[in-house]
Amino acid sequence: MALLETKELTKAFGALTAVNAVSLDVEAGSLHSIIGPNGAGKTTLFNLLTGTFPPTSGRILLDGRDITGTPAARVAHLGLARSYQRTTVFPAFSLLDNVWVAAFATGKSWRGLIWRKTGRYPEVGERARQALADVGLLAKADVPAREISHGEQRQLELAIALAAGPRVLLLDEPAAGLSPDETRKMVSLVRTLKGRYTIVLIEHKIDIIMSVSDRISVMYFGSLIAEGTPEEIQRNAEVRRAYLGGVAA
Amino acid sequence: MKKPIILLLAAVVILPMVVRPAIATEIWIFAIFGLGLNLLLGYTGLLSFGQSTFFGSAAYVAGWLLKQYGINAFLALGIGVGVGAASAALVGYLCVQRSGLYFIMLTFALNQLFYFIAYQWTSVTGGEDGMPGVPRPALAGIDFTNPLVYYALVAVLFLASLWIMKRIVESPLGRILQAIRENPVRAEAVGYDVPRFKLLAFVIGGAFSGLAGVLYAMLFGIVPLEAIGFVFSGNVLFATLIGGSGSLYGPVIGSFVFIWLSESVSTLWARWPLLLGVAFVVVVMFFRGGVVEAWTRFWSWRSSKQKN
Repeated sequence: MALLETKELTKAFGALTAVNAVSLDVEAGSLHSIIGPNGAGKTTLFNLLTGTFPPTSGRILLDGRDITGTPAARVAHLGLARSYQRTTVFPAFSLLDNVWVAAFATGKSWRGLIWRKTGRYPEVGERARQALADVGLLAKADVPAREISHGEQRQLELAIALAAGPRVLLLDEPAAGLSPDETRKMVSLVRTLKGRYTIVLIEHKIDIIMSVSDRISVMYFGSLIAEGTPEEIQRNAEVRRAYLGGVAA
Repeated sequence: MKKPIILLLAAVVILPMVVRPAIATEIWIFAIFGLGLNLLLGYTGLLSFGQSTFFGSAAYVAGWLLKQYGINAFLALGIGVGVGAASAALVGYLCVQRSGLYFIMLTFALNQLFYFIAYQWTSVTGGEDGMPGVPRPALAGIDFTNPLVYYALVAVLFLASLWIMKRIVESPLGRILQAIRENPVRAEAVGYDVPRFKLLAFVIGGAFSGLAGVLYAMLFGIVPLEAIGFVFSGNVLFATLIGGSGSLYGPVIGSFVFIWLSESVSTLWARWPLLLGVAFVVVVMFFRGGVVEAWTRFWSWRSSKQKN
């Protein structure tokens, strides 16, 4: 059964239709990738799913429940967490505090919000540590985020999303700007998350997509032009023309 | 006990022996005012140029009730906290809808609005002449008209305020506000309703400003029109920046420097604000963290020299 669904989802900015009648079914527990050239509307689709802005028309369903138009701060509580293409962390915070903030947000209760000391939320602290451990950054828990490398910031970016304990993880180009070596590390990281979370992945690097995805949807100028398994997508003539042409030939 | 607390307690005891009690009292009042501003400025990253709105409103309302109805001093302080918080809720609700320069201009514009209400409503506020005759009623046999006794009351309330603020900034709320300062987009995405948290910071800051406002009115026995003017808003901003907006104790140190300079140097040299200007430039150019940062940098520099 589809955990996350969109029905005829459309977003127009003036004359530009960035996302055009996209209907997507993301199966629970699967890794579903969205590929497409720059400007295809992939990130806009993520912004719609996470409530950054409302769609012009169409609907978004999470576990069968209509969440269309839910503001971003509420969407996080429904179990949708995202990472950003451009690193979006809390630079002055230690790595642990970065993930702590995300873990607290979706924690069981906000009791003691303005009075209890932050150290006295053991379950939040535990979840935060687990998220850092999952991306391999626990050893640097006390280092400020602005002092770690770009590659590590990309891992932290992912850890913040994990700390929320989401049902659906939306990853926007987790390997953006990484060296080949760092990219390999990120790919194996995403592989370890596969199965534990339902993942929607935007990625440019075709080899990554082909090796980790269960299903792939191809976007082109705002529309979905194909969907299928990695093998089906590789064989699809239209996809080759639109996107893979120069890359995977 | 930790070092800053011992230093503070020592300062509370020594200060009235060094300067006139009225000045010593004003320093702690201004420090309470600064603590409230710093929750917005230092922790949430919101530059409010209208803090005197809450300070002045509380001073007028509580001062008037003290004068007309002779209410209990603690009730007056409580009402001041309430008026400060309520006016901050009103102003904050309008301001948090915008960000950046528009936010700053809105806090300033609304401050001016309150100022002109006070300026025009002469039957209550006395307009330009201020509202004189605010009493300092005795409580439980304690006579607060004695300057030192009043100083003791203010000092205790200041220490209580500092403790409360310390708890707030060390709570989840404190960390969420700092997260909003660091990255509002991500704070929203991980599940915090950013405008609401900003509003909460306003209300808490307003409550502190209100407490300071009533103490100020009772200290001088008058609510001057300036208490709700933009110069006052600027003063608390300067004091906090000079002391260091990045830390809990910054506004306390800033208040000490600011009031001490304005009260002692101003009698010697009429152009003392020039000194303040120089101090401000030095802070902005070299020590963004104010006196607190200058102090920690000095000590780390010294200890690194001793090692070599």
